[in-house]
Amino acid sequence: MKVLKLLIKKEIKIALRQRLIRIMAIIIILLLSTALWAGYITYKQQQENVRLAQEQRRSEWLHQIDKNPHTAAHYGTFVFKPKTLLSLFDFGLDTFTGTSKYLEAHYQHEFMFRPAQEYSSTIRFGQLSAALVFQLLIPLLIIFLSFNSFTSEKENGTLRLLMSQHVSYSTIATGKIMANLLILFSLLIPFFTLALIFSGSYANTDVIQNLSFRVLLLLALYVLYIIIFVTLSVWVSMLSKTSRNSLLVLLSVWVLFTVIVPKASTNIGTQTTPLPSLKAFRSAIADDIKNGLDGDLSAPERRKELEKTYLEKYKKDSLHQLPLNFLGISLQAGEDYAGKVYDYHWRKLEQTIEKQNSISSWASFISPYIAIRNLSMGLSSTDVNAYFHFHKHTETYRRNLVKKMNMDLAENSRNGEFFEYKADENLWKTITPFTYTTTSVKRVITYYFIEIIAIITWILLLLLAIYSYSKKIKPIYA
Amino acid sequence: MLQAIDLTKKYGDFTAVKSLNLSIDPGQIFCLLGANGAGKSTTINLFLNFIGATKGKALVGNMDVKANPKKTKGLISYIPENLMLYKNLTGLENLGFFCGLARNPLSKDELEHILLQSGLQCDFIHKRVHSYSKGMRQKVGIALARARNSKILLLDEPTSGLDPKASNEFSELLLEMKENGVTILMATHDLFRAKDTGTHIGIMKEGQLLENFNTDSVSFLDLESLYLKHMKN
Repeated sequence: MKVLKLLIKKEIKIALRQRLIRIMAIIIILLLSTALWAGYITYKQQQENVRLAQEQRRSEWLHQIDKNPHTAAHYGTFVFKPKTLLSLFDFGLDTFTGTSKYLEAHYQHEFMFRPAQEYSSTIRFGQLSAALVFQLLIPLLIIFLSFNSFTSEKENGTLRLLMSQHVSYSTIATGKIMANLLILFSLLIPFFTLALIFSGSYANTDVIQNLSFRVLLLLALYVLYIIIFVTLSVWVSMLSKTSRNSLLVLLSVWVLFTVIVPKASTNIGTQTTPLPSLKAFRSAIADDIKNGLDGDLSAPERRKELEKTYLEKYKKDSLHQLPLNFLGISLQAGEDYAGKVYDYHWRKLEQTIEKQNSISSWASFISPYIAIRNLSMGLSSTDVNAYFHFHKHTETYRRNLVKKMNMDLAENSRNGEFFEYKADENLWKTITPFTYTTTSVKRVITYYFIEIIAIITWILLLLLAIYSYSKKIKPIYA
Repeated sequence: MLQAIDLTKKYGDFTAVKSLNLSIDPGQIFCLLGANGAGKSTTINLFLNFIGATKGKALVGNMDVKANPKKTKGLISYIPENLMLYKNLTGLENLGFFCGLARNPLSKDELEHILLQSGLQCDFIHKRVHSYSKGMRQKVGIALARARNSKILLLDEPTSGLDPKASNEFSELLLEMKENGVTILMATHDLFRAKDTGTHIGIMKEGQLLENFNTDSVSFLDLESLYLKHMKN
C-alpha cells in the first residue's frame, strides 16, 4: 500500500510538471465551464420562452371567440417541449427534433422550430456541450496524460530501476491508473459537486423525473467511462515499445471509437433498416384511412356501418331522428380511425428506428463512446426515446382535445347543425393546460441495458488484460 | 555475499554466460572486465533476477535470487551504465521516492545530507534531474545505495562516459563504501579504473570467466597485456 501511495504521488508530481498536460487541463476546464454556462443560459432562456409562449397560447385558447367546437379543434393550440435541466449538460437530439408542435383535428403535425435550422452546416460536427467535452475531449486529455506512462519508463530506463526495487508490473500499472484518475477527478470534482448541488435545488421544479438520481447515475457512468480510457491508455503504453507508437495507437483508437464506429453503425443501421420518407409515411397513412387497414372497411363503408349502428342503437329510421348530432359522432369516429392508422404506422416507424438503434447499442462493445453517448442522452432526456415519449404525450393531449370538441358538437347541437352551433369559453376551460414530465429512469435503464453491460464489460476486460499481461510479461532486459 | 554457482544463461543456441563460478565477500570490489557481449551485464541481470538462469544458481546473501526475489533485491542497490532518474523530479525527490520504495523513508534533512555526502553539489539538490550531468546522476545512484544501507552494490559500466574528475570522485565513493563492508560487483571496460578501485578482477570472454585474481597480484601493465592476450585469442 505504501509503495502504491509513493507511485501515485510520484506520477501526479511528474504529470503536473508537464506543460502540455497543464495547458490541456486548462483548455478543457475552460471549455467545460463555457459549455455549462452557455447551456445554462440557453436553458434559462428557453424555459422562459416556453413559459411565455405557453401562457400566450393558453390565453388565446381560453379567449377565442364563441365558435363551433370542431372549428375550435382546428384552431388548435401549440404545445412546447420543456427543456430539461440536464439538457444544459447534454443537448442530445434536442437541436434536431424541434421544440414545439401545433395540435389540431385530423392531422398530426411535425415538430417545428428545430434549433439546428438556425445554424450553418457546421452543426453536423456537434455543438459544444459539456457532454461533448466529457465524451470526446477528456479522453484526449487522458491519452496525452497516459500514452507514455510505461513507454517513458522504458525509454528513460527508470523502469529498470523500479524493477530492481522489486516493484511488480501490476503495482506500477495500478499506481499509474490511480494517479491519472486522481488528477482527472480533482479537475472534475468541482463540476460534479456543482452538478449535485444544482440538481438538488431544481429537483422539484424541473420536468425531468428523479433528477438527483439521474445526476448521480450520469456521474457514475462518466467515472466508469474515464476509467475505461485511463486503463486502456496505460495498457497500450504497457504493450508499446516507444511513446510514439503508443500515442499513434491511442489516437487511432480514439478516432475509431468516436468517428468511425459511430458513423459505420449509423450507416449500417440506415442501410439495413431504411426509414420511409416523410411523403411516403404521410401517403401510406392517407391511403389506409381512405381504404382501411388490412381487413378493415373503407371510409365510406365505415360511415355506413356507423350510421347503421347508431340507428339500431337508438331504434330510429333516420339520422335526423337521433337525439344527438351525428356529424359530431362521425367526425369523432373518423378521428378515432385516423388515430388507429397513425398509431399503426408510427409504431412501424418506431420499430425501424429501434432496429437502427439496436445496431448502435451493440456497437457499444466496439466503442465505449457510443455507450456513454446513448446513456448520457437517455438520462438527460434528450434522446430519441424522450422524443417519442413527448410525441406520444402530445398526441394523447391532441386526441383528448379533439374528442371533447367533437363530442360537445354531437351532444349539444341538433343533427345537421354545424356553424349554427357555437360553444363558448365554458367548453374551452374544460381543456386542461398541457403539462409534461419525462420518462422514468427505469425506462431509460431498460432501454439502454446493452450499453450498461458494454461499459461494465469494457472495464472488466481491460482490467483483466492489464493484470494478466503484467503477469505474463517477459523480462525486459533479456 | 555474492555467489555464482555454475551459473549459465542461454538464448537459444547462444550462450551468454557459461558455467560461471564466482564468490565475492563483503568489503570486496570485484571488477568484471571484458569486451561488449562478454556476458558482464547478463551476469549482473542474473543477480538482479531480471532474467532467469538456464542452469546453476545466483546467490545473494546465501539466498537464491530466484527463490527469494524480494529479500535479495532488498539487499542490492543497482547503478546501470546510464542511471536514468525521473527528469521532472529533483535529485532529492528521486532519492526520497526510491528510498520510500525500499521501505526506508528518510526525512528531507537526511536525504540532503546523504546527497551532499555522495558528492552532489548543494545547489543541484533541489534542481530537476533533466539539468544533471551523467556524473551527477551516478552520484544520486550512490546516494541511493547509501540511503538504503545496501549490503551489495551492482554496477554496470558506471564510469563509462564520465570525465576523469567525475570518474575519480566516483571511485572514491566506491572505496568509501568498500571500507564500510559493502560488497561491490562492477562490470567495466576501464582497465585503469578496475586496477585502481577493485580488490579483485575477473576477465570474461564469450560468457566464460577466464581469469579471476587479486588486484594487488598484478601491475597495471601486466593486467593490460593479460587482458589484450585474452581478447586477441
